[in-house]
Amino acid sequence: MSFCPTFSSQLRSALKLTAAAALVAMFSISAFSQKKFSRTYPAPNNVRLQLMNKSGTVTVEGWNRAEVQIVATLEPPAANVAPQNLSGTIVINLVKDNQSRSDIGNVNFLVRVPYTTMVDIETRMGNLNVSNVRGGLVRARISTEGDITLTNIGASAVSAENVTGDIFYDGDIVAGGTYRFASTRGAINLRIPFNSSFRVVATAPSTRNISLGVFGGGAINYIGDGRRVVGKFGDGSATLSVTNQQGSISFFRR
Amino acid sequence: MNCEECRSAISPFLDNELEPALADTVRGHLALCQECAAVCEDIASIFEVCRTDGEDLLTPPNSPALWRRISNVIESEIKPPPPVEPEQPTKRFWRFSLPQLATGFALIAVVSSLFTVIGIRVYSRPEASTAGLRSSSEETTMEKVLGKLGLISTPQQARDRHFAEQQKAIDYWNARVALRRAEWDQKTREAFDRNMRVIDQSVAQYTNILKQDPEDDLSAEMLDSVLTDKMNLLRDFSDL
Repeated sequence: MSFCPTFSSQLRSALKLTAAAALVAMFSISAFSQKKFSRTYPAPNNVRLQLMNKSGTVTVEGWNRAEVQIVATLEPPAANVAPQNLSGTIVINLVKDNQSRSDIGNVNFLVRVPYTTMVDIETRMGNLNVSNVRGGLVRARISTEGDITLTNIGASAVSAENVTGDIFYDGDIVAGGTYRFASTRGAINLRIPFNSSFRVVATAPSTRNISLGVFGGGAINYIGDGRRVVGKFGDGSATLSVTNQQGSISFFRR
Repeated sequence: MNCEECRSAISPFLDNELEPALADTVRGHLALCQECAAVCEDIASIFEVCRTDGEDLLTPPNSPALWRRISNVIESEIKPPPPVEPEQPTKRFWRFSLPQLATGFALIAVVSSLFTVIGIRVYSRPEASTAGLRSSSEETTMEKVLGKLGLISTPQQARDRHFAEQQKAIDYWNARVALRRAEWDQKTREAFDRNMRVIDQSVAQYTNILKQDPEDDLSAEMLDSVLTDKMNLLRDFSDL
């Protein structure tokens, strides 16, 4: 009878040790299987980031430093990452750098840039996130599927485009600016200041689900049996073009 | 008698035409004056030649032929008389009546205006392939008339042409994707197919709407947009 408790405690200890060893092994495998790439470039004013990914998530954040920091996590098989600094433009093109390889794993980027950077990012598949930038341009394009999230943006030219996935914009509408959002299937949500001045053409032909929210009080025309809404708010100096072939369009007050 | 009087009388003297008294006076002077005697001998010898060979020298061998040649030369040098000009009309040179002329001028004005309008339209309006699609509601009455006459293409014809061009581009990129597709991994292939289906769904939807209502400009614009999306998707994946 006295053997049983001793054996039981020994068994528990052995199980704990085994579990701990398994956990350590798992983290070790994970750490060894993923590679990291990191590089920092001094950034002049109005630096431009041009990034083309094949698959994975790209996150671009504005920060209060005059430098561009690129951190990439490479899933196996690891892709080649070879950024270039071409007279004020940081260029990363994974499609070109891995032209002869069809088996590369996801590459997840975290890029920190000065607030005034012009951001031009693209991926074949995966999510794109941009936040805290107010340079002249923000362009985000996904060839196939993935969400685009643009938060705290102050650019005068913004373009977001995907086939399948949601698009969320939270930022200013700069006077005289141009804003274009296009998706084939997903939800487009725009959060903009109430005092914005813009002309808008919003088209949702399949769902006719166009919600202007607090902006519904302007000069609005419904065209094509409600498939398109054309409106003018304030002096209408900026231009908004929103198209969602099979999804909804919603405006929110920021 | 002096030498001058003598020499003027030599020729009649030799022809025996002088009075005998004057002939004696001449004869006497010639006997005394060597120079006048020499002149008299010269003239006498000329008279002698004329008498013996004169007929041959003075008469041409074939005088009728010579005269014909002379006559021909003279006739050729005579200018022909100027042709008689036709009588100039004095009042009208046309043979149309005033109503006929008015109709002609009006016709010319209409045709030239028509061509000017067409020219300006064609010159000022970019092609559908470069500037997107043109709505039939933007078509003017003149353009509708010209379109029905077949002089210019209607927005629907331009639209069909534009879609045909897009389809050609899609076929090209499709062929390139087909060459690369075998080398993609499964995840890429599935993502491509999934999103292509989404786009094709929209293409089919707008194509059906346009079959039922060819005047639906919004659907035409959306079809143009999704065909462009399809082309972009194919192009993006053609280099993977």
